[in-house]
Amino acid sequence: MSLDIEKWIRSPKIDVHCHVWNLGNEADEVTSAEQLIKAGQMLGITEYWCSSPITGGRIVSIEEVQAENDAVLRAMKKFPDEIRGMCYVIPGQYQEALDEVNRCLDAGMIGVKVYNQYRISDPACFPVIELSIDRKIPILEHAGFLEAPEHLSGQPLISNGSHFALANREYPEAVLIHAHIGGGGDWEQTIRWMRGTSPNLVCDVSGSNLDDGQIEFAVSEMGADRVLFGSDGTMTGSVGKVIDATLTDEEKELIFWGNAERILAAQGAKPTRPREGVAA
Amino acid sequence: MKYFDVNAWLGEWPFRSLRDNTPEALIARLERAGIHNAAVSQIEGMFHRHPQPANEKLAASVASHLDRLVPIATINPRFPMWEVDLAKCQEDLGMKGVRMFPQYHDYAVDGSEGRRLIGACRERGLPVFIPHRVEDVRQRNWMDPGRVVDLNQVANVISSEPEATIVIPNARSLAGSPVWTRKDIRDGLWYFDLSLAEVHYVLHRSVDRMTDLAEFIEQGGEQHLVFGTHTPFSYPSAARVKSAVLPVSSEVLEDICYKTAAKLLGLEVAA
Repeated sequence: MSLDIEKWIRSPKIDVHCHVWNLGNEADEVTSAEQLIKAGQMLGITEYWCSSPITGGRIVSIEEVQAENDAVLRAMKKFPDEIRGMCYVIPGQYQEALDEVNRCLDAGMIGVKVYNQYRISDPACFPVIELSIDRKIPILEHAGFLEAPEHLSGQPLISNGSHFALANREYPEAVLIHAHIGGGGDWEQTIRWMRGTSPNLVCDVSGSNLDDGQIEFAVSEMGADRVLFGSDGTMTGSVGKVIDATLTDEEKELIFWGNAERILAAQGAKPTRPREGVAA
Repeated sequence: MKYFDVNAWLGEWPFRSLRDNTPEALIARLERAGIHNAAVSQIEGMFHRHPQPANEKLAASVASHLDRLVPIATINPRFPMWEVDLAKCQEDLGMKGVRMFPQYHDYAVDGSEGRRLIGACRERGLPVFIPHRVEDVRQRNWMDPGRVVDLNQVANVISSEPEATIVIPNARSLAGSPVWTRKDIRDGLWYFDLSLAEVHYVLHRSVDRMTDLAEFIEQGGEQHLVFGTHTPFSYPSAARVKSAVLPVSSEVLEDICYKTAAKLLGLEVAA
């Protein structure tokens, strides 16, 4: 049976993995966020969970971390119907990181973003994970199963599915999002490592890797209620691979919308626009 | 809208199981995404020193599907007297183009072997396909060299072989690539496909580089685009989604999605 691609393009979507940037001037930041929103509108994306992480494994001061989060807060204020914030922290900064999470959540952010300064299973992350449980918010961590030395050497502390499984065993009630199964790295191995973990460990489909079968494999190993739509900048590709996946319509709707809505509901939040209000 | 996929495959990839990699299954999979025709090569050929048996296997497997699948030969210009295979592929097996894999057969596109192969294809009127990558190198198996094709080398050979037709599937960041930024080859006979490039947004901190295909088109690159999916490696509908949001007229979209590919491959263009 033929896919109704146009229908699925119009179908409402929540993008749980996006970025807005601290660009040093507000005009550029607005231009960048506007482009994100404009591109997503063509694909039925109604809201974007955004962070501005420090990349490259760099450890920076808490003031630099705060500056990144302030950029996200500015974007949220400018585009309240589209941009939602994920507070970036470096977990090893312990109390400062916890204070920063609380500051950002109190200012309206809905989750935490962690990059590759610490693996998610590192005890340094545990206080942040415990705070996320208290505040009923998700943690999205940059991830990928890298083996080739030329790639792993650039980010030796990147988390993969095995690290998420360890963290999940320690904190089964924490909502941990394995970022971008299509973000590079061996998606088959990273997904397999998360098989048999508790339901609060989920993954997002974002990334430039459009390998056929990766969505179905994530669903088969983890369940359709544990796979979230995200783009991380690969908008058409990420939309297209979910549309094309051999799944039921109900499973695709969970990925595009329902699972993110459930994560928001845990903290008493809702999508910025009701699904029914979005033209389909 | 009709779709001609310039970037499809049959056969086995050594590092991951592919589905829908037989002629019947591929046709059905593409049909599900609204795609009726595809140019296909036999995957194994890129790993074989002598790809000709893979070419013959391809010709036999598509023989009863030539209304849907167009066979494209794989040629290794480092194998002795490859010209014999090229002639046989075109003259006996009806192949309509050539794919070259410098990253697997280990030569430079703009080196002597690459230039000789491209020159021979030009003389025969065959388009040359040079996939920028086959699999995402970040997930490479330890037995895979994990290389991508250097687009500077492709730009060099476009410049030195201006009459050759060159298609570069699986490239990203088209607007910033040397094939586009080199002004001397801007009007050349070269093409990118849609399979991996994004359209209206890419992840970049510079506001000058927020889009890819949209910027490429805005700068006048639309005549250099063809539709391709990289099936069965990739999900075919991803390219369909890109084509749905390309900022071009319906006439240009028709060229991108079907007509240009049909012309390149010497096929009759439907009215």
